[in-house]
Amino acid sequence: MAGIADFLDSLIGGFDLICYSLLMGGVFWGLFVLKPWQKDNNYNIELLNKTISLIYKGGFLLAAAQFFKIVLKVWLMTALLGRWPFPEFADTTQFIGGIIRTFFSILIAAYVYGILRNNAFSQKHWLIAIVVSLPLLISGAWLVHAAGRFDNRALLMTLTVFHQLGAAAWVGGVFQLGNVWILHKRQLISTDNWPFLLRNFSKFGMISVGFILVSGFPIAFQYIDSWDGLVGTGYGNLLMVKVVLLGLALGLAWLNRSAMLAFFRTRQTAALFGRVPHYVEAETLVLVILLFTAASLASQPPAIDISSLTASWQEVVNTFAPQIPQTTSPSHVALIAGEAGRVAIIDQVPSLAATEWSNYNHNIAGIFLTVMSFFAMLSYSHKLPFTKYWPLGFVGLGIFLFFRSDAETWPLGPIGFWESTFNNGEVLQHRIATLLVLVLGLFELTARITKNPDSKLPFVFPVLAAFGGLMLLTHSHVGFQAKSAFLIQVGHTTMGIFALILSCGRWLELKLDKPGKEIAGFTSVAALFLIGIVLMFYREPLY
Amino acid sequence: MKRHIKYLSVWVLLISTLQTNGVSAHAVVTDYSLKLKPIHAQQADHIELTFNSKIELGLSQIFLVSKGDKHDLLTAEMGKKQGQIIIKVPALVAGEYAIRFKVFAADGHITEDVIHFTVS
Repeated sequence: MAGIADFLDSLIGGFDLICYSLLMGGVFWGLFVLKPWQKDNNYNIELLNKTISLIYKGGFLLAAAQFFKIVLKVWLMTALLGRWPFPEFADTTQFIGGIIRTFFSILIAAYVYGILRNNAFSQKHWLIAIVVSLPLLISGAWLVHAAGRFDNRALLMTLTVFHQLGAAAWVGGVFQLGNVWILHKRQLISTDNWPFLLRNFSKFGMISVGFILVSGFPIAFQYIDSWDGLVGTGYGNLLMVKVVLLGLALGLAWLNRSAMLAFFRTRQTAALFGRVPHYVEAETLVLVILLFTAASLASQPPAIDISSLTASWQEVVNTFAPQIPQTTSPSHVALIAGEAGRVAIIDQVPSLAATEWSNYNHNIAGIFLTVMSFFAMLSYSHKLPFTKYWPLGFVGLGIFLFFRSDAETWPLGPIGFWESTFNNGEVLQHRIATLLVLVLGLFELTARITKNPDSKLPFVFPVLAAFGGLMLLTHSHVGFQAKSAFLIQVGHTTMGIFALILSCGRWLELKLDKPGKEIAGFTSVAALFLIGIVLMFYREPLY
Repeated sequence: MKRHIKYLSVWVLLISTLQTNGVSAHAVVTDYSLKLKPIHAQQADHIELTFNSKIELGLSQIFLVSKGDKHDLLTAEMGKKQGQIIIKVPALVAGEYAIRFKVFAADGHITEDVIHFTVS
């Protein structure tokens, strides 16, 4: 079960950041965007109740997530060390800091639930919420990875806390915007609340982003000391992914702001009430994935510490170089014969068969996706009806992956299905990815042939594509040297970004009217095509 | 509207269940004594490892791996320098060996890694 513990341990970091954003971003939203104590803003109690409910739910969930992190560490260490980790674990910063942070999370959540909820229009009580949250903010500093470092420890801890606060303010604010739109659609709040709060949040959002950048740059310069470190390490690569995702989110935020400004200039409602809510949905998706990427970044060694294991930019570019796809596979017998030498510690022998097996898997998957995206593009012409069945390719791809992903496990290898799935985090990821691809194909195929115009099935595709993108952005390959692992990671993270574009594009295609609908749809299919191209040219290092 | 909330919940839930482990954890060896001071056959010795992060030694394990991937647990103590640990190595016959470690860093990450060396 160590595989599951490892898997859960790494996902809880992103979930923790989401809860933290709901809590702290919600408090900032109340203080700087909502300002419910001002008399002329036309808010009703429904809006205040829902706003505050998101905040305390975030707080209680944060406490649960923090406590669960400790439980997972105990579980993981018991599995890895083969013994109960106490009493030693009780003396660690992680245990003490984790318990303290759990307590302070409950404290602020209880204050919001018990006191602020009953005094929602009082400025004093919102200000007290900030004071009550201070111990939580400060205690969090001992749980960031800067806490374990020797150089500039206090500075890095402080900057990380401010960086997280800036992100929480932005993401939490976007969550609250989504909440306002839901209330608006249910006609539970005044119509003018939506444009008014969008305008208020627009200014606050820009300040939050400024905060993220001002605190983020010094951290980046502390952990990455060269261009090679940025381009040629896992840490630098995930930082660049964060920058790209930040750019995507800012692009959507800019569309929101433009529509909001146009509304106040012209009083035309089409964009503000027709498009902006869906931009907010897409922005939420991008920001949530950004938080998970940020959590994943913390598990990477900083570039400054692994200068001897850094890849050159030429090596990085070479991983994307066009090559003839490998369409023949080594035999399963040859692969298994090389496994003992490949996984040995002493007298390790790299396995050419393993490398070629993996290249074949990736390249064939790339051919699947490229052909599918080609038919998907053709389907938009509406002249070739059979092309609407292009999602069937996902079913074929899923079956292919099931047999080929982990050759040492069932059905091809000697390790049983359940044993391999639950004891190896990487196999577990592959199993989930296979299931995901199969489900994706079946749902999308059904969605495209259904005659029901109100069917919600089309939305499954963008949701699962985002899920797949997240897997790619955080995909791990255990057992490689750091540089080899990075050269594999860089291809996966590139595809992860394209998968996210695919997801957002398809979501907006389903939600928007023309011409935005068509632009988003084309962008989505183009992203699928690019994923196929990256996979077709994939080459794994010999290991 | 409940549908929207349902969609949002499913989104967050699905995405929340798919964060995976990084390629390697935060703590890494930045220096080790084997680079300058090899181990000689039939002499008990020690190996110094220096990490980029504070290590919780009580929650860490270090193994000597010998031919046939045979694992023997080694003892270690904190060194005088920051992030340094000193591993006691018994007298060994000439051959290929490795130090395999699982360390718990102060930032909460568990790192597993292997360092190969030759005894001559």
